[in-house]
Amino acid sequence: MTDAIQDEIIGEFDGLEWLEKYDLLIRSARELEPMDEEFRTDDNSISGCQSRVWIRSYKKDGKLIFDLDSDAMITKGIMALLLRVVNNRHPQEIANIDLYFLEKTGLKSNLSPARSDGLRAIIKRIKEIAQNEVGQSNFQ
Amino acid sequence: MTGFAKDFPILAQKVYGKRLVYLDNAATTQKPNSVIDTISDFYKTDYSNIHRGVHYLSERSSERYEKTREKVSDFIGARNSSEVTFTAGTTDAINQVARSLEPSLRGNEVLVTGVEHHSNIVPWQMAEAKLKAIPMDEDCNLLLDSVDITDKTKLVAISHVSNVLGSVNDIKEITEIAKDHDVPVLVDAAQSIQHLPLDVKDIDCDFLVASGHKMYASTGAGVLYTNDRFSDLMPAKGGGGMVDKVSLEKTTYQEPPLRYEAGTPHIAGIISMGASIDYMQKIGLEKIEKHENDVYSYARDRLLEMDNVTVYGNTTRMCGSISFNLDQVHHYDVGLMMDKMGVAVRTGHHCAQPLMESLTIEGTVRASFALYNTKEDVDRLIEGIEKVEMMYT
Repeated sequence: MTDAIQDEIIGEFDGLEWLEKYDLLIRSARELEPMDEEFRTDDNSISGCQSRVWIRSYKKDGKLIFDLDSDAMITKGIMALLLRVVNNRHPQEIANIDLYFLEKTGLKSNLSPARSDGLRAIIKRIKEIAQNEVGQSNFQ
Repeated sequence: MTGFAKDFPILAQKVYGKRLVYLDNAATTQKPNSVIDTISDFYKTDYSNIHRGVHYLSERSSERYEKTREKVSDFIGARNSSEVTFTAGTTDAINQVARSLEPSLRGNEVLVTGVEHHSNIVPWQMAEAKLKAIPMDEDCNLLLDSVDITDKTKLVAISHVSNVLGSVNDIKEITEIAKDHDVPVLVDAAQSIQHLPLDVKDIDCDFLVASGHKMYASTGAGVLYTNDRFSDLMPAKGGGGMVDKVSLEKTTYQEPPLRYEAGTPHIAGIISMGASIDYMQKIGLEKIEKHENDVYSYARDRLLEMDNVTVYGNTTRMCGSISFNLDQVHHYDVGLMMDKMGVAVRTGHHCAQPLMESLTIEGTVRASFALYNTKEDVDRLIEGIEKVEMMYT
């Protein structure tokens, strides 16, 4: 399965040295709108990360929109890429998506098991939200 | 490679194409060839279970194990090697003391400091003791005039050196205060045994705990010194090797230290502590202390002169660890980028959440030093920080 947005991201990271990759992540993080303080609650936060991450979602025209933030820029940069991939898709599509760009950009291997627990937890949360939506629409 | 680093094969490697600068020594230290060879040779020539067999190998294993006890005993200045129990590490040692003292601790108080790592907090809480911290000033100096020992204080349990700040606590003075109130003292030497000479007679503490892996030896091996005033403690663990006579009705225990060493210990790991002590003594503890002090002071001075860096803690004596933050950059980002520059530092709360709370921060970047670190390593750290700052501006 290929995905145009993921391929685009992989292209952007292709051939970069590590510090250049981080530079790109920091720039991506800066482009992401900060989450409103009112949504940065414990309920919206994800543990398992050395840095803190907040996530919320809402639906627009049957598609899911995620809003994410983190206190660490590199984490936030990876989140920004993740949002480019998952935002504005149907829940079913997100529930099934294979996030292969993490591996191909080297960002996944960079995140050692302990560190990537955070990333894994975020992906898990995104998939759960999508799966829930799928379940609900089936029910309706 | 310069200085002592040549004795440590792991430090010869490159990471991401750069010479590895290992500054995570408060978490664990690397191993010199002599320690690695000792472990390997032990398995090749002497390995067997201890204190059980009458055969040749068991005799040799037991002999090396007990010889190590004597070395450790001398190293920390114990009166007698029977005061030294081998444990799995600092955490295990503290847990054993907590378990043994539990009847007296339950519902009472343990006096600690505000810089303790979780290993010197959680076991006391599990023994249902309430923790009370010695107050400190904003530089993290303990305010020993404000030590509040009451009838409920059943133990003073303090770190010698903070694993986060590198601040050295005046354990001798704290012990004196505690003794005036007849309260026993446990010293957590996890972050000092590899940096500072220790003499339990001089400190006059009742318990002292330390880990082998933080002093160039194997993981899974640690020390619990118990003053012979406490030689009749109830063992925290029961099982093989610690008993005198066992019947289904009743069991009697061995004399210390064997009564505290139930089951088969990490024999090779423990023996490696003897090799690490030999290694340090061959260099000379004074020489190690002087070298480490030079490198540490250099690192501290260089960090302090950086405009956008906050260095935490400032006590009259410091060693081992330095914690800092860059004003505009999250500690986690700093750690990730330093790693890619070949510099291994630690980030986060360092298992000392109460300290983070009192500093009102979420975490720090920590550089921690060992005898093989040099001023050149510090330069690499500073260069790395400058590069990170540049990426953020």
